[in-house]
Amino acid sequence: MNESVIFVLAFVLYIVAAFFYLAFLFNRKERWAKTGRIAALAGLAAHTLALVLRTIGSGHAPFTNMYESISFLSWAFVLAFLVIDVKLKIPRIGPYLMLIVIGLMALASSPLMPKEATPLVPALQSYWLWLHVSVTMLGEAFFAVAFIACLMYLTTSEPAKKERMDNVSYRCVAVGFPLFTLGGLVFGMVWAYKSWGTYWSWDPKEVWSLITWFVFALYLHTRIVMGWKGKRSAIIVILGFLAALFTYFGVNYLLAGLHSYA
Amino acid sequence: MKRLIKFFTSIKLAIVLLIILALASILGTLIPQGRSAEEYAARYGQLAGALGALQMTRLYHSIWYMGLLLLFAANIIVCTLERLGPKYRRAFKPRLEHDPKGLLALKVNARVKRAGSASDAAAEVRRALEGARYPVRQSAAGPRIHLLGRKKFWGIFGSDVVHAGLLVILAGGIISGATSIRTDLALAQGETKSAPKADFAVRLDKFTTDYYPDGSVKAWKSDLTVLEAGKPVLARTVAVNHPLSYKGYSFYQTSYGFNWDNPGVEIWAKRKSDPSFLRKVKVKVGERAALGDPDKTTMAVARFLPDFVLGETNEPINRSNQPNNPAALVEGYRGEAKVFSGWIFANYPDFAQMHAANDKDKNVASDLAFELKGFDAGQFSVLEAAKDPGVSLIWLGCILLMAGLGLAFYWPPWEIKAVIEDAQGKADVVLGGHAAKSREAFAAEFEAIAAALRRPK
Repeated sequence: MNESVIFVLAFVLYIVAAFFYLAFLFNRKERWAKTGRIAALAGLAAHTLALVLRTIGSGHAPFTNMYESISFLSWAFVLAFLVIDVKLKIPRIGPYLMLIVIGLMALASSPLMPKEATPLVPALQSYWLWLHVSVTMLGEAFFAVAFIACLMYLTTSEPAKKERMDNVSYRCVAVGFPLFTLGGLVFGMVWAYKSWGTYWSWDPKEVWSLITWFVFALYLHTRIVMGWKGKRSAIIVILGFLAALFTYFGVNYLLAGLHSYA
Repeated sequence: MKRLIKFFTSIKLAIVLLIILALASILGTLIPQGRSAEEYAARYGQLAGALGALQMTRLYHSIWYMGLLLLFAANIIVCTLERLGPKYRRAFKPRLEHDPKGLLALKVNARVKRAGSASDAAAEVRRALEGARYPVRQSAAGPRIHLLGRKKFWGIFGSDVVHAGLLVILAGGIISGATSIRTDLALAQGETKSAPKADFAVRLDKFTTDYYPDGSVKAWKSDLTVLEAGKPVLARTVAVNHPLSYKGYSFYQTSYGFNWDNPGVEIWAKRKSDPSFLRKVKVKVGERAALGDPDKTTMAVARFLPDFVLGETNEPINRSNQPNNPAALVEGYRGEAKVFSGWIFANYPDFAQMHAANDKDKNVASDLAFELKGFDAGQFSVLEAAKDPGVSLIWLGCILLMAGLGLAFYWPPWEIKAVIEDAQGKADVVLGGHAAKSREAFAAEFEAIAAALRRPK
């Protein structure tokens, strides 16, 4: 079996997981959520194998073009969600997150994304590619779970569910923020210093990571020091995730800069 | 006035600054930074002047953006120091005396009656807490014995360490901006240049480009030797992502180029009237070579352009130093008389046409065909020599930042307070606990300690 077959298998398993999670939303039977979790886990395992095979085949990290990058981002989303789901038992987030993942996987599979593994340009030949990109994306994945929890907070009217979503989103940010800081900013600065000779160049991608960081710093300070909770907190998380999303997609397509690879 | 000072030293200012910094930073990614005045004029018209005056075209280095960052730093210092005093007292001079009612009002609490004296019970509580790795402080006030067990207490300083890290990073940035040196050194093979404002020099021994099988570039490598007073002290290969560090300087592979002053050119000459005729000529620009044809023609390359384009008045000019459209001006001579000339192109072999100098030479000119088969120019390597004294502070700041985040999020202080007193021949033990985070795990641990104390001796 080759990488693309296993990729499709993961895709299918994610769709199955989304179906069971969605069914759980309507019938509230615990075993549907459990089945969804198992399908998502199996999908993640298959996806991991696909990424490993891709790495072996290309000889470099599986995130050097847009296809690989989106595939890896989806992988990180599922991983982050499963960590949170196993720890906090929050299958209600499942259907929405899996839908986003399915959308991303479909985008990665679309003919718009060239799939060929191309040789690595000199600037990307570094183990910092692994550290910088994987840790940043993992952080962003936890922001994504927080984002969905916040959307659910804003759309529900049950106080108990609101309380829970508020708590879940904070727990996600508590994991995502240190990861994003480490991968996006610290590892990014170290690699920039090694590769470009300067740790900070005010490149649009750098600036947008900093903006994302400012927004989540705002979230933490308003929440912890000023006691904001609920609606206002949720809106800040949503803005923060959108900033992270723009850092990831928008900068590549709309703004030119040093990060224009692939 | 007092209110103004209060605002400037408050967390509210931090919030406002975070928002303004985020918005200003967004603005800087919408307006292209550091372009030429003409480009701004073309893009923004009348607005261009205003943008320049507001330093929007170099926004991140503008006085007002720097001012915002400095104000932010000052605010961080004030807010952190303001909270540091109480935190210090909480950490090192904690209040031990608590009222049992107060402890029972905590979310996590327990009451245990034990046989025996209060002091025996206190020893038991102490043992149980220390067994669960809570360092314990004890005081006796009147008939009551007070215990305070705390672990992971450094967690309360997490945010302060984060703030210290940010300040160190900002300081590093200021030092970098004020003192860093950056110069591009273009070195041909064998060339030596001294490092900027330093007492040593670097020599490029060899520059190589490695290619992948598909022709794309795999690596640029410069073999460098560091020379102190003319003597080699260190040899290292510099490549992208692999700079050379020496005496606080770093040398980065940033670019490369060709030296087109005196390239070698390979030209193949053919005769249309004789398909078996083929003469391969390798010459330098300006040199002549005999073709060995029956007409005894000699040829020369008069000019070579790596990137041929026609200028405004249709004259051949060079567009760049990259070999995008290599072209050679070939001249043919009979004796000392020039009989024909014409441009030939490496990328367009069919385009070559020789123009005769006189009508009588037309036959020769049309019989000979030339192809530009190759050229070799010396390459030079461009290295950036940089010295940035701010860098070590940046890394120190990053370490503090991450350590602080780790402390703040994953090292939450847990504390258990106990009040023990004699009550009707028994010891009345009241326990109360508090966790800043991970409350479920803490509650479970607290419950285990309480359960151990409930068990009879």
